Amino acid sequence: MLLPKSSLLVLLCLCSTLALFAQQNITGKIRDAVSGKPIPGVTVRIPNTNKGTITDADGNYTLAITAGTTSLMVSYTGYKTKTINLTPGNNVINLTLEEDFARLDEIVVTGLATNVKRSNLANAVATISGTELNGVAPAQTFDAALSGKVPGAMITANSGAPGGGISVKMRGITSVFGNSQPLYVVDGIFFNNSSIPAGLNDVTGAATSGSPNNQDNPSSRIADLNPEDIENIEILKGASAAAMYGAKAAAGVIIITTKKGKSGKTKISLNQETGFTKVRHLMGVRTFTPETAADLAGTADNPDPDVQAKRAAYKAQFTEAKNAGKIFDYEKEIFGQTGLVLNTGISLSGGGEKTTFYLSGNRRQENGIVKGTGYFNNSIRLNVDHKVSDRVSVGVTTNYINSSADRGLTNNDNNGVSLGVALSSTPDFVNLFPNALGEYPRNTFASSNPLETRDNMINNEQTNRFVGGGNIEIRLQQSDRSTTRLVGRGGIDYFNFKTAALFPRNLQFEENGLQGHSIQGNTNNTNTNIGGFIVNTFTPNNNLSLTSTAGATLETGYLDNIVTVATNLVSGQSNLDASANTTTRQFRQKYRDNGIFIQEDLSLIDAITFSAGVRFDRSTNNGEYQKYYVFPKGSISWNIAKMDFWKVPGVDNLKLRAAYGQSGNVPPYGSKFTQMLGSNIGGFPGVLVENLQGNPDIKPERQTEFETGLDVSVLNGRISLEATYYNKKIYDVLLRHALPGSSGYATEWKNSGDLRNKGIELGLNLIPVNRPNVRWNSSINWWQNRSKVTKLIIPPYAIGAFGNSLGTFYLEEGQPATQIKGTVNGDLKLIGNAEPDFQMSFFNELTVFKNLSLRFLIHWKKGGDNINLTQLLTDLGATSFDYDDEMKGTKAGLYRPGAGDASIYVQDASYVRIREIGLYYNIPIKNTAILKAIRVGVSANNFFTWTKYVGYDPEVSNFGSNTITTAQTRGSNGLSTGVDVMPFPASKRASFHVGVDF
Amino acid sequence: MKKYLSIITVTLFLLALNACQKGEINSLNTPVVGGIITDPSRSDLFNLVTGAESGMRNSLSTYLDGTGIIGREIYRFSGAEPRYTTDLLGGGSKLLDNNTFYITNPWSARYQVARQCFILLDAINNTRTEVASDVQKKAFTGFAKTLIGYQLLLNLNMTNTNGVRIPVPNGATLGPVITNPAVVMDSILKFLDEGKADLTGSEVIFPLSDGFLGFKNAAGLIKFNRAIAARVYTYQQKWDNALSALNESFFDLNGPLNNGVYHAFSTNGGDLANTMYLPPNGNGEIRVAHPSFATNIIAGDDRITKTSLRTSSASQSGLTGNRDVIVWTSLNAPISIIRNEELILIYAEAKMQKNAIPDATVAINRIRTAHNLPVYSGPPTLAALITELLYNRRYSLFMEGHRWIDVRRYNLLGTLPKDRPDDDVWPRYPLPQSENNI
Repeated sequence: MLLPKSSLLVLLCLCSTLALFAQQNITGKIRDAVSGKPIPGVTVRIPNTNKGTITDADGNYTLAITAGTTSLMVSYTGYKTKTINLTPGNNVINLTLEEDFARLDEIVVTGLATNVKRSNLANAVATISGTELNGVAPAQTFDAALSGKVPGAMITANSGAPGGGISVKMRGITSVFGNSQPLYVVDGIFFNNSSIPAGLNDVTGAATSGSPNNQDNPSSRIADLNPEDIENIEILKGASAAAMYGAKAAAGVIIITTKKGKSGKTKISLNQETGFTKVRHLMGVRTFTPETAADLAGTADNPDPDVQAKRAAYKAQFTEAKNAGKIFDYEKEIFGQTGLVLNTGISLSGGGEKTTFYLSGNRRQENGIVKGTGYFNNSIRLNVDHKVSDRVSVGVTTNYINSSADRGLTNNDNNGVSLGVALSSTPDFVNLFPNALGEYPRNTFASSNPLETRDNMINNEQTNRFVGGGNIEIRLQQSDRSTTRLVGRGGIDYFNFKTAALFPRNLQFEENGLQGHSIQGNTNNTNTNIGGFIVNTFTPNNNLSLTSTAGATLETGYLDNIVTVATNLVSGQSNLDASANTTTRQFRQKYRDNGIFIQEDLSLIDAITFSAGVRFDRSTNNGEYQKYYVFPKGSISWNIAKMDFWKVPGVDNLKLRAAYGQSGNVPPYGSKFTQMLGSNIGGFPGVLVENLQGNPDIKPERQTEFETGLDVSVLNGRISLEATYYNKKIYDVLLRHALPGSSGYATEWKNSGDLRNKGIELGLNLIPVNRPNVRWNSSINWWQNRSKVTKLIIPPYAIGAFGNSLGTFYLEEGQPATQIKGTVNGDLKLIGNAEPDFQMSFFNELTVFKNLSLRFLIHWKKGGDNINLTQLLTDLGATSFDYDDEMKGTKAGLYRPGAGDASIYVQDASYVRIREIGLYYNIPIKNTAILKAIRVGVSANNFFTWTKYVGYDPEVSNFGSNTITTAQTRGSNGLSTGVDVMPFPASKRASFHVGVDF
Repeated sequence: MKKYLSIITVTLFLLALNACQKGEINSLNTPVVGGIITDPSRSDLFNLVTGAESGMRNSLSTYLDGTGIIGREIYRFSGAEPRYTTDLLGGGSKLLDNNTFYITNPWSARYQVARQCFILLDAINNTRTEVASDVQKKAFTGFAKTLIGYQLLLNLNMTNTNGVRIPVPNGATLGPVITNPAVVMDSILKFLDEGKADLTGSEVIFPLSDGFLGFKNAAGLIKFNRAIAARVYTYQQKWDNALSALNESFFDLNGPLNNGVYHAFSTNGGDLANTMYLPPNGNGEIRVAHPSFATNIIAGDDRITKTSLRTSSASQSGLTGNRDVIVWTSLNAPISIIRNEELILIYAEAKMQKNAIPDATVAINRIRTAHNLPVYSGPPTLAALITELLYNRRYSLFMEGHRWIDVRRYNLLGTLPKDRPDDDVWPRYPLPQSENNI
């Protein structure tokens, strides 16, 4: 119904223009300058108007121009923009476009409603295209696909559990107890990325003794996003670039633009990925002998007759098992499954002159490396853009996501029930397999039989999510010299997140304990954001352009998390009311932030750009909720190569740039109150003062960032270098600082010091070979960060992990924020630093005969320590693979935990990894009547890793990265990555790809 | 253009509308301290009392396990927590750490209850007499002060000469760390005495759990208060004071040994389960009696039944035990705060220290015969009687948090067994690291 109507409209419009103006048609064909291939989709338009067209599949275009039009602008992503002057009478213009190797003409979003060409950009804004993100070797989830691709970022997978969970830290430590994760903005909609725990803590007791922080390790919600929908990603790493996002931008902003339709023939694209996933690395297990089996009971010289009897019993058990051939590798049994990966995507895009659309559906389904785990994501997206008139355009993006993740039970626990912790004390000679009746033997070496737990438990997360937004752009007035636009933008992100953790009553650890757990959580979250901006561009002459922006934004959020824990279950039931006891907990949080800003950009002879702006922000999370905090910014860039005096041939870009900006980080919800938590006894309701003291004067952290750099590109952009130095300071750092326990409080919210991060980012892009038949491009990035606590108005204190004796993050003035201290022979000593010395990534794409391309990404992280408690637990459980190796005159597995030296378990987590490698072939097609293209390819993701780290993977975090604080447990903090406690092992994947375009 | 104008108007209107939401967003989940102490209602006060009683149980199992392990009453084996067998027993070159859960968690939990009690005191200060009369208010304050004294005593038990701080009212500056236990005990007694004074003549309107069964009125709470005071006087070796405190307590030489005040537990919603209960013959998470428990017990002593023989002995880190601790028989079982059996032993101790040997012997025999042992037939000397007393305290109060403190106050820590060559018997916990942060 719609389509004929709009085409009618188009026709009408065409007719009316025909009637009104004398006009002519310009036609032509546009090709690639090197290969000579026609380029479809190139925009040809009349400068300063909305009038334009797009080349068709064969690179042809036709554009009606009015009399008086003197030039046309031809642009296409990845190519240099060309302006051609029209000569009267010449109606056929064929031209070639040169590839923009240094991406100088790329448009980068810098303000909330403004953008700038990369050649004039004052910041190092990283851009990741859809192909770089997803076109080499697709990762399981969107967040994992960022790994190794963002210079200046420290990206760490928290866990290998299906469904994602990634920590992204831009330019060092931005916040310790505030939000440390970047803001994700998808098509202008603030996309919630919280991790909501399923309440597994009720079973594991992980947060009950060593650390109050939640260790459920839930997935992060950004993982819901379908990577195949992404057109490109821009990453604003710090305040100097992101200041216009105000009090939400301190940890950086990741701006994601999804694919939009293009007018022309409707394009249907079908992609299928089929592959498998396997564990990346197994640590290996200890091989027992009769003697080492006996040693599990006590030493041979122990005079206790009980010990000697037990020794004999173990020896006999081992010998019997050995003779029966029943020696098992339980690590392999649990983590060794191969999972099937199926990923099907279909997209449909196209549209007419006025309305374009992009419609896509995606279904990702894969099994994990542990039986019963897996991930299933269904996503539908519809993006529609419509030009109401020459002056008004509207766009709508909608996305519905349904995802389900079965994540198993891993990570730290204090009850011996998680798979890893149970494995750590289970030797190879015990039989845990079920008998013919399906009954699992009791594990005499741990509280649980991990095989039984794996086969009978459920830990499922289910998300139903709708994300939708709209924008409207109105050209209020337009003259030769100035244009005024009004931009309105709003979005809503709603999800319902349902967790279900079921532990039947017949499990070994339940049968004599609480007799079953059914933990069901239900979270509803709504985020909204709305903004309005007025942008005026004033161009008095060709050498000067002034852009003024003013705007206001408002964001709200409401999260309501209800978790019910049922214990003593009716046999075989999971329903909450089929139980003898239930406890319900609710946690709600709500905020409202708003900001107003103005910004002025000045461009001089297209070579010098100044920009200045200021933003005022307030938030209900601040102690003074009505107070506006002020965040200014300013930047300058000078592209010397564009100056008239610049005559150096070959150097086509030489830019000096500097930027300064401030942004904030609002305190977490509730930090201004001292809560009274529920604490009942004897059937009476009680409230007990929380050990976290609120602070009514809490204010946002303030970040100031200065960034400066040099961009050079030579040989027509075939070699380009981007070098950046930054100095990022965070004032009034929000800390939950330790109070003397005798105050009755353990911690207090306080703005208590300053941090600094200094760093260097170097990016080198090369195109060593560029011939019609062979093309090789390569990009090398190198970055490092050094963080330091420059001021601490409170005494130094341990903030993370599990206490001094096992190594802890320790905040101390004058020291790196990421330092790890621990007890060595009774003294608290510096024993490590979680910050890498540097990181490096190396991306290559080699294309031969136009159709065959090889792409790979290597990622090197040098330095950075982990706290390896996985090794500690296997040592204590006497199952480490190297337990019997000699160390300091005794067995390694005995020496390490008893040495009184926390530094033994603080270990270098360097690695070199082939993150992604893929080989793709476009099958040349002769008959193009139906099929447009067929692609086939093979890829491997995270397949090869070189590391000396002992553990499943050097990338790990027991505490997650953005786990929310709930009624029961504290959320993640900004430092705790790298704590390794029996995680879900990381996996690698390999896939076969087929893609067909119609 | 008119069309756009209307759109613009609507957009601006929407923005303006949103900007109009100006209210503060308050705590959505819980009451807040600032709110509850201003003009509290009767239920507010009840909730605070319940919270205080409930809070006394937090990390109590860590306290009992810790003192039980150091005092060589038990081994605590855990697949997930190594430090029960390393740090607490001094395994290898391990020392007690000042920032690890075994000290920080119970320490903070006790002071948290003290803080709660001060909040209750503030709330009572701001309570209108229509909500609670002065006599009724006195019961609240008396109960709060009694708990502060008791909670402080538990922390002093852990750190002893490493010191504690005296809890202070809300908003007051913390005092110094006091390392002289005698001075701290005077403070504890001051809280207890003030509590007793307030309770005297008061009327209890607040609810208490059945852990306080028989002690829920003012008279009962005074008896509880004095029983704790008797324990403190005993630690102070003020025998006359101990005896007079006993007289005001629920001490009953011939009464039921288990009469007393308890922490109630349940698996009900919002309540705490008794985590000192571990199913017998379990694996992974195990609490077994130290082997010396069975080897040192006199044949026939029925207190052996506080443990049960395992079907298969349990081992970890070169330690083995074959008797599960079954002092608590379910997740709903109560844990004692103070009971008559201890009071009888305090009576015996005070009497023998005052050289009233016959009285002391009567009390000792009361305990011995109750546990299936013949009457005391050893020499009537103080030294021999003290040995007998400590034997009885060891087995009568097994895993109730006493043995380590008892051997420490009689300077007998050296007599505790070390099972592995490098093990240590710690005399006290270190002062938590956070106490140095001031």
